[in-house]
Amino acid sequence: MKERLIAIVAAALRVPTSALTLETGPGDLEAWDSLAQINVVSEIEAEFLVSIPVEQVAEIRHIRDFLGYLEKTP
Amino acid sequence: MKCALLSNVNVESIARQIERHEVHIAQGYGVWTQELADPASGTFGFGPSSVFLIIDGAELLRGERGLGPVLADVDEHLAWIERAAERSPGVKFFVSTVDVSARTLRPLKEEHAERRLEEHWNTRIARASASHANIYVFDLKEMVAQMGRSLLYSNKRWYLGGLRFSTAGEKLIAQELERILDAQRVARKKCLLLDLDNTLWGGVVGEDGVEGIQLSETGEGARFRDFQIRIRELGRMGIILGIVSKNNEADALEVFERHEHMVLRKGDFALMKINWSTKAQNIAELAQDLDIGMDSIVFIDDNPVEREAIRTALPEVTVPEFPTDSCELTSFLERVYKECFFTLESTEEDRKRTEAYLANAKRAAERTAAPSIEEFLSGLRTKVFLTRARDEDFGRAAQLTQKTNQFNLTTRRYTEQELRTLQTTPGAAVFIASVADKYGDNGKVLVSILRRVAPGTAELDTFLMSCRVLGRFIEDQILDHLVKNLRADGVSRLRVQFIPTRKNAPARSFIERLHGGLLVSDDEPGAQTWEFDISKASPVTKPSYAELLTKPVHVAEVVS
Repeated sequence: MKERLIAIVAAALRVPTSALTLETGPGDLEAWDSLAQINVVSEIEAEFLVSIPVEQVAEIRHIRDFLGYLEKTP
Repeated sequence: MKCALLSNVNVESIARQIERHEVHIAQGYGVWTQELADPASGTFGFGPSSVFLIIDGAELLRGERGLGPVLADVDEHLAWIERAAERSPGVKFFVSTVDVSARTLRPLKEEHAERRLEEHWNTRIARASASHANIYVFDLKEMVAQMGRSLLYSNKRWYLGGLRFSTAGEKLIAQELERILDAQRVARKKCLLLDLDNTLWGGVVGEDGVEGIQLSETGEGARFRDFQIRIRELGRMGIILGIVSKNNEADALEVFERHEHMVLRKGDFALMKINWSTKAQNIAELAQDLDIGMDSIVFIDDNPVEREAIRTALPEVTVPEFPTDSCELTSFLERVYKECFFTLESTEEDRKRTEAYLANAKRAAERTAAPSIEEFLSGLRTKVFLTRARDEDFGRAAQLTQKTNQFNLTTRRYTEQELRTLQTTPGAAVFIASVADKYGDNGKVLVSILRRVAPGTAELDTFLMSCRVLGRFIEDQILDHLVKNLRADGVSRLRVQFIPTRKNAPARSFIERLHGGLLVSDDEPGAQTWEFDISKASPVTKPSYAELLTKPVHVAEVVS
């Protein structure tokens, strides 16, 4: 799941996967601005067939937080 | 190309997806009319050759106003677009149609403001496009209709960032933008070459006859008629149409002349290559006759082997995959249009192009040497399985003798029962072969019947093969194999009969390439019997390309 997640985030940001770790988050890369963050959320929702509530989107600081969210979701 | 995006919603995310072109977007997304009105705005300062206006219908309705003021606003917006277009005649303006989903809760009887707004905007921009050479319609409404609102829009992205469209919707829009930008820079393809059987009509005309092919106004045959209608539209846009088909020319032309549901007529095609040469050779000749490059040619054929042959021999030719479901033929052609022939407008010159090329072709006499196909044939990894017909084979074998007209040396028809009887008759043997290649199994396609006619002499009573595997010299290889077996069992002479019919030209060319035959009789009109001395050499001259697998074939038992 971790690799899949990083691949999706990399594609959404148009950066190589090597530029990302689980600790990377919005603001760490030039490409990851607030607009890109919305695209990251959309692509993860589409890939994992989940819907991340707006309230939770605001709390995401690192890629790891998505992992936490996806693992909690059945 | 430099292009500018203007919108009443946030389109930055769309702009980021456009990689092949330089994109400018206005700062702030409520400012699109201002940007249009001001010749010194950032948009025009950027110097774009194309300006796209992506208009979100729901946003036009923003505010608690009645429909009247909203429509008046639309007229004002349109006037700004027209003025900008008039001021910058060198810039192309692509204005979106709008989609307005019904958000208001209202009784059924009450006026449907969303629908009225949509109609008003879409009518007005169509009119603006008709009256201004540099205003084009960007059909966003159609994209919404194709993808569906629930997939193209995203509420979450709207609330999070003023992004109206889903990521899938943005991709679709970005793709259309790029298509339009590419069309202004990259030359489109010029020529569409088409196969006939199972492409322009269902079935094989050489086997099913003009009356037997599938092609009709309604029902199943309409899938091919509708496909032809789309192809004719391409022709009218100035795409040169041509035919490349392995067929008897007379059979194929009869369809064009006599079939009442043919949409395409001979005059729609600049050139027709209907013969038994390889398609690569025909396409090479055709390109030379028309004086066009291989890279301007698109080739459509239902047969994967033919497609692969062209991809191998002529890699510059575009060869789209053919739909496996022929109900999808029209949407397939729409895709081909978008990918290969898309154009912003077609000129009078475009429309006359086919005639011009036709004239050129008539002048051209030179023929190019065909690219070699040996490599291609070996690459097919063809496997031929030859066996004496077994119990389960007679049904198909009889059907093949009944149906096969083109590669058929004698065109003798047999029933299943007759073949069973033959198989048990001393001195006769029925063989059947199936053919598979890297694309799949073609099934049982070849039937051969050998009979003993005199001591040490065998006769080829029947030798036929379905035309779907023609051109691969499988027939040569099988005859060679049978000859070797006959020789090993002491047979020294083989008689081969050829009875010409209106349709079996491919069989004639087979006879003509056999070596060392003596014509022993030609008493029936046109019918010939050739005798080959097979004690030392084989009449077969072609190399083998397939792997031949056999159950032990005891030819000798029955024919020597």
